[in-house]
Amino acid sequence: MSGTCDGGWYPLMLSADLELGTVAGSTVLGRDLAVWRDGEGQAHVWDDRCPHRGMRLSLGFVREGALACLYHGWRFGVDGRCVHIPAHPDLSPPGTIRAAPLPVAECHGLVWASVEEDGSLPEGDPAMDAAAWVPVRSLRIEAPWQDVARAVGMPDGHRAAALDRDVEGRVLAALLPVREGACMLHLLAAASAGVERLHDLADWGQDVRARAEERAGQVFLAGVVA
Amino acid sequence: MSELVLHDDELDEDCYRVRLFLSLLGLEARRVAVDVVPGGAQDSPGFRAVSPAGLLPVLRIDGQMVCGAGGALLALAHGRPAWLPEVRADFARVAHWLQFAAGPLRATLLMRRACLFGGAGDGQSARRRAAVGALRIMEDHLVHRRLEGGAWFVGDGPTVADIALFPAAALCRDWGEEYSAYPALRRWVRAVRGLPGFVTMPGIPDYG
Ligand code: FES
Repeated sequence: MSGTCDGGWYPLMLSADLELGTVAGSTVLGRDLAVWRDGEGQAHVWDDRCPHRGMRLSLGFVREGALACLYHGWRFGVDGRCVHIPAHPDLSPPGTIRAAPLPVAECHGLVWASVEEDGSLPEGDPAMDAAAWVPVRSLRIEAPWQDVARAVGMPDGHRAAALDRDVEGRVLAALLPVREGACMLHLLAAASAGVERLHDLADWGQDVRARAEERAGQVFLAGVVA
Repeated sequence: MSELVLHDDELDEDCYRVRLFLSLLGLEARRVAVDVVPGGAQDSPGFRAVSPAGLLPVLRIDGQMVCGAGGALLALAHGRPAWLPEVRADFARVAHWLQFAAGPLRATLLMRRACLFGGAGDGQSARRRAAVGALRIMEDHLVHRRLEGGAWFVGDGPTVADIALFPAAALCRDWGEEYSAYPALRRWVRAVRGLPGFVTMPGIPDYG
């Protein structure tokens, strides 16, 4: 998997956060996606629009190897085709009713999707391939992804990289541009990091978030409000 | 235990906290509906005679009236060590989160009410920032819990703290926060949903 911006591959979420038989939402550059894992463990990424009436598929649930829409219960198989319409249980739905699957890859502890139609296939990145990665966490940051990339020391033009932050081991940082001025930062540690180190990296993520948002003029302080 | 009575508003998340806990405990309460929107019944003399400060819900337990979700949850958890640990350090952790739910986390409830009942959302208001800040405190805590192998706010299983905190996370979409910004909260919400006896409220989908 190349960490560069070529090929249109984006790191959506930590693999560990997509449990078997569940669906989650994700947004890339303002485009809403439904990310789901079937009973066999395979991840799927579709546009987050139900072919029936356009409701969000990410609010649905996974049943019998298919993604079910919450609103009227239409179910869609792994190829995106509608396999079941509860209001017409005996009907075999026409093949033209289908969700829009995107190319998906799962590696380095992350679920990736290619959101550009001509996206080339992922290529190897030696530093990222050289380690097994332990998930730490993902954070939403209300700041431009390029600013966060600079702050964590990402090489120019990369959305993901194995960073040599400190002597205690490498960190995989991956950035998902959510929309203008907001991103998700995913952090993983090179195996076999101890629990203390994972806690430290999780805290470091909070620190990166706080600083980036301060630079962006966004501060989210809890407290008692009216 | 004598008959349990719950003065309850179906659409209110504080009332839902108590309904959810009753259901998880396998308890039935006689429900007395309080028409808050649009009736404003929480300010009627009749209701104020039950709940002098107008707090909802009101639980009658062992002949005693308890006003407000935090108090009602505690009264129900009393004598149930699985839900309210007896070891002081864990009890203190639960107390910490109950206080959080009754304090800083109110910002999420106010945001939701403003968005559902008060017309448009209010953009990047101080209230919204405080609400996001409160959800992040929960998210950050669960991240650390998960790194040490825990899935709940305190200890190895669900406590009354999880129940007090749950609606704020489960209902955040009502005021425009996406679950995708809070991956740890999302997994925890799923774990709470999987508890035997779990019930929903309007705004929390029922997968059937
Ligand atoms: S909108 Fe999805 S089933 Fe109707």
